[in-house]
Amino acid sequence: MNPTASMTLLQISVMAILQTIAVLIFIFIVVPLTTFAERKVLGYVQDRLGSVRLAGHLVGFTGWMNRVMWGMGRLPFVSILRGLPQFIGDIVKLFVKEDIVPEKSDHFIFRIAPAISMIASVAVFAGISFYPGALFTFPKAVPIVGGLPFTGFISNMNIGLLFILGVSSVGVYGIVLGGWASNSRFPLLGGLRSAAQIVSYEVPLTLSLMAPVILTGTLNFNDMTRKLSTEMPLVATPLLFVGFFIYLTCGFAETNRLPFDMPEAENELVAGFHTEYAGMRFGFFYLAEYINMIVVSALASSFFLGGPFLLPFGLHRFILHVPVIGPPSAIWFVAKILFLLFVYIWVRGTIPRYRYDQVMAIAWKYLIPFTLVLLMLAAIIRYAA
Amino acid sequence: MFKNEEMEINMGPQHPSTHGVLRLKLKLDGEVVKHCRPVIGYLHRGVEKICENQTFFQGQVWTDRMDYTSAVANNLGWAEAVEKLFGISVPRRAKYIRTMLNEFNRVASHLVWLGTHAMDIGALTVFLYTFREREDILDIFEAFCGARLTTTAFRIGGLREDLPPGIEKQIRAFLAKFLDCLNEYETLLTENRIWKKRTIGTGLLNSADAIAMGVTGPVLRAAGVPFDVRKAFPYASYAEMDFEVPTRTEGDNYARYLVRLAEMRQSHRIIQQCLDGLPEGPVMAKIPRILRSEVNEVYHPTEAPKGELGYYLVGEKGSLNPYRFHVRGPGFINLQALPMMVKGGLVADCIATIGTLDVVLGEIDR
Repeated sequence: MNPTASMTLLQISVMAILQTIAVLIFIFIVVPLTTFAERKVLGYVQDRLGSVRLAGHLVGFTGWMNRVMWGMGRLPFVSILRGLPQFIGDIVKLFVKEDIVPEKSDHFIFRIAPAISMIASVAVFAGISFYPGALFTFPKAVPIVGGLPFTGFISNMNIGLLFILGVSSVGVYGIVLGGWASNSRFPLLGGLRSAAQIVSYEVPLTLSLMAPVILTGTLNFNDMTRKLSTEMPLVATPLLFVGFFIYLTCGFAETNRLPFDMPEAENELVAGFHTEYAGMRFGFFYLAEYINMIVVSALASSFFLGGPFLLPFGLHRFILHVPVIGPPSAIWFVAKILFLLFVYIWVRGTIPRYRYDQVMAIAWKYLIPFTLVLLMLAAIIRYAA
Repeated sequence: MFKNEEMEINMGPQHPSTHGVLRLKLKLDGEVVKHCRPVIGYLHRGVEKICENQTFFQGQVWTDRMDYTSAVANNLGWAEAVEKLFGISVPRRAKYIRTMLNEFNRVASHLVWLGTHAMDIGALTVFLYTFREREDILDIFEAFCGARLTTTAFRIGGLREDLPPGIEKQIRAFLAKFLDCLNEYETLLTENRIWKKRTIGTGLLNSADAIAMGVTGPVLRAAGVPFDVRKAFPYASYAEMDFEVPTRTEGDNYARYLVRLAEMRQSHRIIQQCLDGLPEGPVMAKIPRILRSEVNEVYHPTEAPKGELGYYLVGEKGSLNPYRFHVRGPGFINLQALPMMVKGGLVADCIATIGTLDVVLGEIDR
């Protein structure tokens, strides 16, 4: 949404709500798809079927779901999506499970910790832009918002990136507090690991995003994406290429995914910080993790892979005026996000887990010095250009 | 408010990677293991005492249930120990088949180990790959004796039946693809930087300590001691087989990993030789329907997948069952070395070390 002086307060409020709902719908379409893809892609990597049916009975809800999935499996093309309804089963299960709060835990903090994680990861989307302009304009006939553009972003903040980094780092509080409030030893270890890991990786993650900031000279999400794709000198391409991999590495660590899934390293710490959680409270942590994956993928694809512009690493300016593939499109952006989510799953199926101290060593000994060099090079390019 | 103290943490008996019901009392300083004390007995069934109240024929069934990933190797030790006690000589063909199945069991056991160990370190995929191949081995067991896990594969004096028709084809098909499968696992792990970082230099056990603790099997051989019961005190038809005893000198988790992988390749060789040189003849010796023991005692060591599995049997005059039965379980004795190996390491190393010790609690607790 781009509020202008001519819009009334009512129009601004309604547009803000509509745009927020649109992004929430996007999130809650992509999250189930990601969990489904995780099951299927891992299944493919591991030489097994992946998700095809629900465990349990032939009667009742699970029986009905199983019949639906069985039917899907018999249809052409739809059959690859067999197993997708399992997500509904997951959600139902999480909602109907008993919500256990351990007696010796700190009840209040224990209850709000998942909400902190969840809110922080969803709120980040306020700063993310899917498309730099209007996706469509409401017809005049529509009440209140008639004639107004529906943009590909919720808000076009001048400090967009700062907002994103600030809000996303709040999520770690959920993990730390959840681990601590459980008053149990494995979650405590998980929470502490998480605190150390996420705080450490925040530094190289932010520094690697500072290179694009220096190159473009702005923190505005839309301006950054556009300038990175269309106005960069060719020398910036290798820099963005390296920066992409550094950012992605840090992103893996930030989202606690293999090979850096220290806080919940299930073979060491049982289930890490959420060992004591059950039902939908656990579900919130779970959702927050997947939403964070989307956030990291969205940032990586905006700043390094060109975002709504097709070609990555600032190469798009060569084809900017070609029809069809030249103009920006939200489709490219979403496609890049989905590809990066696939990479997440792919990595999970392939490599083992680092040890805790090794994870920290990578951040402090390798990534931070490397990103500082990158930052310096970015400054030189900026100065020379 | 800010106290600096060690945290005592109970790892197990319900924990995803203590391989059953092992319980470790760990004292942690941050993430560093200061002290480790294994607590065992959660799976104690009194197998040894039960066997003393069973006839020699019945006892074998209980050995299946000790180390349930290597039931055939347990059966072999029991059968040979009883045969030694009664002076029964087994036909050569039966010995060959026993050797072959024993090596299959070694591969199956090592595959379970590799899968679970890799999963402990976070490589999820290897687990499903190894269980795919293990499935083929279990199919072979099923074709041979009808059971997949608790096989009770052999009889005192030989085998109940000869190899069933068609099993040779099944075995050859497995042998033809197995080396490729091993290479596939190695592609995922052996040169993987993360895998190396996690396993090299962790869980160290030098040869002197290993010998002092009575450690046997791949754990001992990875510490540089080339002791293998199959070579040192050949049993079944191992004396006729041509194979090597792989050893490493590092004594860390990575060395144990490499030793076990090399052992699987050697097992492949032995199975091939057994199948190619399978002699003709009967598979069962003439033995009395009822075995009544004399006053006699026998200790029979065998090389189970996890190490030296020794059966100590004492006979009683005229008795149908052993007077005393004792098992020298490899896992039980190898586990003694665990506190020494994990001290000063991190929690994650502790998990990796439990993995490479390859403990099966059914055998440790008996």
